Formats: sequence, structure tokens, C-alpha cells
Amino acid sequence: MVITLFVVALVCSIVLSFVYSFTAPRIEDTQKELILASLREVITAAEFVEVIPETLWRAHDSAGNHVGLVFRVFPQGYAAPIPITVGLDNDGKITGVRIATAGEGMKETPGLGAKILESDFKDQFHGKEASQVLLKQDGGEIDGITAATISSRAVCSGIKRGIEKYMDELDVLLDMEMFFPSADRFVAIIEDTVWYALQENDTLGIVFVGKTMGYLADIVFMVGLAQTTAITGVNILSSQETEGFGEQIRSQEFLDSFKDGIPEAISGATVSSDALIKAVRTHVEKYKEYVE
Amino acid sequence: MSKWQIFTRGLVRENAVLVLMIGLCPALAVSGTVRDGFGMGIAATFVLLCSNIIISLFRRNIPNEVRIPIFILVISTFVTMIDYMMQAFQPDLYRALGVFVPLIVVNCMILGRAEAFASKNSIIMSALDGLGVGLGFTLTLTIMGAIREMLGNGTFLGMVVFGEGFKKAPVIFMIMSPGAFLVIGVLKALINKYVKKETP
Repeated sequence: MVITLFVVALVCSIVLSFVYSFTAPRIEDTQKELILASLREVITAAEFVEVIPETLWRAHDSAGNHVGLVFRVFPQGYAAPIPITVGLDNDGKITGVRIATAGEGMKETPGLGAKILESDFKDQFHGKEASQVLLKQDGGEIDGITAATISSRAVCSGIKRGIEKYMDELDVLLDMEMFFPSADRFVAIIEDTVWYALQENDTLGIVFVGKTMGYLADIVFMVGLAQTTAITGVNILSSQETEGFGEQIRSQEFLDSFKDGIPEAISGATVSSDALIKAVRTHVEKYKEYVE
Repeated sequence: MSKWQIFTRGLVRENAVLVLMIGLCPALAVSGTVRDGFGMGIAATFVLLCSNIIISLFRRNIPNEVRIPIFILVISTFVTMIDYMMQAFQPDLYRALGVFVPLIVVNCMILGRAEAFASKNSIIMSALDGLGVGLGFTLTLTIMGAIREMLGNGTFLGMVVFGEGFKKAPVIFMIMSPGAFLVIGVLKALINKYVKKETP
């Protein structure tokens, strides 16, 4: 009796592992094709480069120019998270929105929330920017679906948050690539703060984000630090210094001078530039251990 | 009983959902539209047919004490197999049915037929029984889906019926859970009134 049960279980697992082993690669392929097809649906591009696996892609045209990005978000709907794919052009305007169908994991109520799939609703997003993607009753420009406010609002907020998050992420990524042009990926060590720049499996260096008090407000900056502890680049992510004075810390000439050692303070912007120079130096000391 | 009787029995007279009152969970949960109901029905029919054949084939080797775990193993193996195969070779069909395929495992109708019929009868009879019961289930779910979709969404397979005016303001609760209970209750009442019960 026990032996029969054991044999049945064994046969079942062998059959299943056999079926799995020859279907798994095909399942993976078809899944990739499906994802690629959904990317093509939201933006016209020749090639997609995956930045964050299954979440963020950069879109290139056939000449290799960067034409925009595609991201996927999963905002909580009425019944379950709604899988949405969004295409954005370089100005941050929506080029297309694709919402998964019921068979692909969208679980909103048929006939009610599921109306978010209808083009009357979806096509409203074309050409909109993050600030416009809100229901009209919330101060935006999107007509919600009658009796499906929760689902329509979820789609809007998901897309809006996605744009805000991934536009920034893309800016940061472009900077990182400027610091380490030969790196093929960046892996976060401390989330949103320190990344390893990797080329295949070799570490080229690290990129980190730091913050310091300037003359008027915080200066947020990003530094690339090579394996040799040489600075490969400095960039300002945000600052609100005095126009014409403190804001000179954003000049390329000043930022480039970090690569040749400690730069001179800028006359007329001594407080801002000194603050940045000092902060870069202390942050390099702090994160140096990661490259050593 | 003749082969024809075995086959037709499951369609109406011993309809799993409306007469035997089994497999109610999927009948209530995925009969919101015609397509969902039909898809769930066909997928369940396929598993029912395969599991009935296999269990009938090995019916003399299955010890009575552990028959239920063995049935469950066979059924879940088939469901998982179909799930993988469909994902690999019929991705479009899988996208349409995706949610319903894993749900088939919990359909007690399939275990019920294995226990009550396939473990006691020949392969051909079991196959006919599985096919009949499965198609009866498909028929029920499709009819429920049709009623609920037409009244609750004003469409049939996505096509507008009763005009655009009705589509804008349909009987919304019909496609929600209360509609499922209401439709299943009305169908059960009709069956009770017009179909003679089999005398035991």
C-alpha cells in the first residue's frame, strides 16, 4: 500500500520533471517574446536594452539613438495588482499604455474594473506628462470609468509614480554610464546610494550619491570612483544655489577638475564650491573601502 | 447501460453542477462571461478525460486504502502537465485561459468521477463518462456565462446585444458574485421542474 503510493508519487514526479525540463526553455522563450511584443506595442523602437530585469528598458531606434524608455508597474487595483506597461519618449511624454488582459493576470471585475482595457480609457494617456495623469476629479486630465473609480485611479497613480521614479532613474543611469563608459551594468550595494560598476565580472569601481549643505540648500551630487581610488567624474543631481554665483558649481569645467585631484574653490562661489569639495573628499574616504 | 447513455447522462440528467451540485466553486467563480465559462469547461473536460482513462487503466492496481491520494496525484500531475505544455506550445490559448488552468485541480467533480466511476469501470466507459460529465460542465458554465454577460454587461462574446443604451447601464450585479448565485439557483429550479429525476 505504502509502496504503491510511493511508486505513484515517484512516477508522477518523474513525468512532471521530464515535461518541465523540455517545456521550460520554450516557456522562457515565449515569455520573452510576449514581453518584447508588449514593449513594441507601447513605443516604436528597433531595440530594447534591459536596465532593470523585467521592469525597465531603454528603447533605441535602428540607428542606435535613444528614443525613450519602457517600464512596467503593478499598482494595486480593486482585486489585485494590475500589470501595466508604459512607453515614454525622451521628453517624458507617454507614447503608449498597455494593460495586461484578464488572461495575463489582470483580475479586475469583468464589465466593471476590466473596462480599463478599453481603448476609450487607455488612449487618453497618449502624449500626457506625469502631472496630467490623474483622474479629472483628482485634478488631472483623465476621464475615469463610471462605477470603476478604484481601478481607473489605480492605473493613473501607477503610471504617474512609474514616470516619476523611472525618469529619475534613467537620468542617474546616464550619469553613471558617463563615469564608467565601459561598464555593462551597475549593481546597487546600498540601495539608492552606492553601486558597483561591473564589466562582465570585473569591478571597475563604484558610483555613490552624497549630500551636503550648500550656501542656500542641500547639494546632492554623484561621484564615480575607480578601482585606483581616482575620481572618474562628479555630477550635481540637485542644488539650489544663487544663480550666477553658487550655481557655478554646475559648470563642466569645475566638475571636470575633480578628476585631476582637489580643485580650487570658485571665486564668487566660495561657500558652495568649498562645501562640495569638502563633501566629495569626505565621501570618497567613507566609501573607499568598497573599491579596495 | 449503453455507451450512449453513459455519455449523455452527464450532460443534463446527472449534470455535475445543477443536479449533483459538485464543482460549484469554479461554476460560480468563472462564469462571468461566455468565454471564461467555455474556456474553464473545456480545460476541465480535458483533464477529466485524461484522469478517467489513467485511473481506469490502473484500477486493479490501486489499493483501496490510498486511492484518494493516488487520484489526487494523478489529477494534479495532469493539470500541471497541461499547464506547462500550454505555456510552451499554445501561449495564446494559455493567455486566454491562464487563470483557470491551475484552478482545475481544486475541482472536486474530477475527483468525484475518478472515485465513483473510473475506479470501477472499463477504459472506454470511463472515457465516455469523463467526456459526458465534462461537456455537461462546459454547457452549464457557458449558459451561465451567456446569461450573466448579456444581462450584466450587455454583450455576448464581446458583441453588443440589446443595443448600446442597455450596454451603458446594464444589470451590473449579474456579473458580480450575487449574479452567479442567482443564475445557478434559477437554472437548478428549471432542471428540477423539467428534468425527471433518475429513480435509484
